[in-house]
Amino acid sequence: MLELRKDIFADERDDNLKEIGKGTQRQDMLGHVTGTSSYFNDHKLQGMLHLKVVRSTHSHARIRRIDTADAERSAGVRRIIRGSDVPRNLNTLLSLINFGKDDEPSLAVDKVRYKGEPILAIVADSEREAFEAITKVRIDYEPLPAVFDVEDALKAGAPVVNDTYPKNAFIYHDVYDHQKLRFGDADAALATADHVLEQRYQMSPIEHAPTETNGSIAAPDTNGRYVVYTSTQALFFSVDTCAKILDVPSNTFHFIGGTVGGGFGGKVDTLTEPLCILGAMLTGRPVRYVFGREEEMQYGPPRGAERIYIKDGVMRDGRVVARKVRAYFDSGAYTRLSSYAAVKCAAHLPGPYTIPNVYGDVYCVFTNRTPATAMRGFGVTAMDFAIECQMDKLANLVGMDPMEFRILNAYRDGDMKAHRREAKNTALIECVQIAAEKAKWPIRDEFKRASSRKDGGGSRAAIPRTPADAYAATTAPAQQRTTYDRLPTAALHEPPREPPPPAPPSPPSPRPASPSHGAGRFSSVFGTRRR
Amino acid sequence: MTVTVKTFTSSSEAAAALSSDRNARYLGGGTLVMRALNEGDISISTVVRANDHALTRIDPSGPRITLGAGVTFARILGERDLAFLHAPARSIGGPAVRNMGTVGGNLFAPNPYGDFTVALLALDATVALQGGFGSRDIPIEEFLQSRERQAGTLVMSVSCTRPTRAEAFRYRKIARIKPKGGSVITLAAHLPISGGRIAGARIALGSMAPTQIRARAAERALEGRSLDAATVAAAASAAAEGTSPSDNALGSAWYRREIVGVHLRRLLLGQE
Repeated sequence: MLELRKDIFADERDDNLKEIGKGTQRQDMLGHVTGTSSYFNDHKLQGMLHLKVVRSTHSHARIRRIDTADAERSAGVRRIIRGSDVPRNLNTLLSLINFGKDDEPSLAVDKVRYKGEPILAIVADSEREAFEAITKVRIDYEPLPAVFDVEDALKAGAPVVNDTYPKNAFIYHDVYDHQKLRFGDADAALATADHVLEQRYQMSPIEHAPTETNGSIAAPDTNGRYVVYTSTQALFFSVDTCAKILDVPSNTFHFIGGTVGGGFGGKVDTLTEPLCILGAMLTGRPVRYVFGREEEMQYGPPRGAERIYIKDGVMRDGRVVARKVRAYFDSGAYTRLSSYAAVKCAAHLPGPYTIPNVYGDVYCVFTNRTPATAMRGFGVTAMDFAIECQMDKLANLVGMDPMEFRILNAYRDGDMKAHRREAKNTALIECVQIAAEKAKWPIRDEFKRASSRKDGGGSRAAIPRTPADAYAATTAPAQQRTTYDRLPTAALHEPPREPPPPAPPSPPSPRPASPSHGAGRFSSVFGTRRR
Repeated sequence: MTVTVKTFTSSSEAAAALSSDRNARYLGGGTLVMRALNEGDISISTVVRANDHALTRIDPSGPRITLGAGVTFARILGERDLAFLHAPARSIGGPAVRNMGTVGGNLFAPNPYGDFTVALLALDATVALQGGFGSRDIPIEEFLQSRERQAGTLVMSVSCTRPTRAEAFRYRKIARIKPKGGSVITLAAHLPISGGRIAGARIALGSMAPTQIRARAAERALEGRSLDAATVAAAASAAAEGTSPSDNALGSAWYRREIVGVHLRRLLLGQE
């Protein structure tokens, strides 16, 4: 439980909040309903120029030659920016937290990896003149074979999408090509389960479709600084990303944002700000770069599509005894945030249920599609959809009521979760009970009496014997560390194993004597760290 | 090059301006032209407008109705005498688009739009044009077939005969997002019945070809027959004949061909 030192932080939090059930006015509501809220695009600066990008017409191609001679002479054109003009033309968003390798150029140089990838930025007196200049750019492409399917991309001999990751999979901790979860022996449990159900779930990319498209306006300020009006939903993240790409200290920028015309995850990628500021740096004039609606829909990053295979073993009495998951996140051509989505997904398995044998492999895959990014619960939303579809199908398979089936399999306080943390403050049972009550869905008394606080722990807190597969055995824990980590001790890394496997719903065995968590923590992003 | 906006008080001057400039585009409600300009369509360098009241006139009474090209869908929805056109008018966009979008502009709307035109095609409408050559009336089917070559002409109005009975005219738009998604397919049927038999059947389809088209094979299956299950089945199985749908984000050509008969059958049988 979080303790707030009231002796020090007396005014930090009101402990007498009574907000639930009351109507509370949003602080920005008045501005929105009266049309007086100011957005980034409400700024019309004197001498403002307009930036538009030339986008790739191919999904995968080598760029042989870029001829801008006619475009340079086109009316109103002030500057044509190429990849070589970008100070650090390779970045990955999460490099700010040391996660992942730089893999995405602001402007493509030798190769384009998705249809719509920016190649040149044209700064002109008006949007119209920028559009006219775009039609005068001649780009000579050498088309390359493209791959659009996550599983095809992982096959041997598949076209290499992103040279930073030649196997078309994001590499975690410099070693692992996927996120792996092993808890108990899923294969053995599937072999003895009464029913086995394997299903495939395929999601589609989803565009955030904000009312205000991505965009920004950058203007030279005094003392060599730049003021930037932006639609970003992650202002300080965008400041640091721009500082990195433009290779200047972050105090070079004064970012003004805050009023975002719809973000939902689609405005963290900082797609317009670096080029906009670079345009202002190169021309000495204010520059505006706003996505058109089609650009937003087609080339703005969507929620990534996932392909998920789930194989479950269930007993006649309704207990799910094994869950085996393979998931592929379609990151598109570059990483952006999908690497993190796969981590979240693996951490979420097997959903809010206590299943004694869980097996998960989650891949972040590169394809020649529009790069995907964050969107509301990304990494978890699609997996939850698949898991809950699966739960309904399993309930049907064993002839149980789906609500009761969920209560039976729900995790409870004290249970061991698949990633070896004790479940606390669980409330799925209560949620299902209330949902059933509100929906007037009849459930039997024994399920009405179930509680998250009862009957957890005990044998359910045990970590089953987990056969390590060959791949895991070859990887040394030291490789999971980053420069931030102190040397881990072996005991911290792997929780103590109990000798014989308590076969799934077997007689109670004592809970591990001392909880292994707390002192040392394993972060999927950073590896093992000591608190 | 900047975009020039020319506004005329008479439609004939506007028509002359259109026919003299290949890069001129007439702006009705702006739901197509402004979108194109905002998205960087540099083929438009002149925008022509007209304030002529003739363009916004509605003649809703009598057996033959006339709609000025500048009449908006919101206005059609406000005319009680045009109840038979309310379903197609309501199926277009949201309130903002219906407030601005016009009957004339809809004739030029590419797939997956142009739903009102599907209704007009089933009603055998006539399009009144004004161009450098003067004015003339042409059947809507002929107009649609030569739509790409109509750039230099100005549509003045559209007229059609009111269906004698309400149930003789049926309309349905299949969309994935309701109520304002683009059309997967759009269907309209005009089935005048004379002596218990269909006489002059018209079936029009949207999103089944580059422009709105008539399903002539389905029409033939209906002509001279009574609207019974066997006739409807025959029309439904012939619905895709002569169509050439294409793939887009809303549906594949294959899917459109598969569902057009299903929806035609439901439309003719009055099923949901």
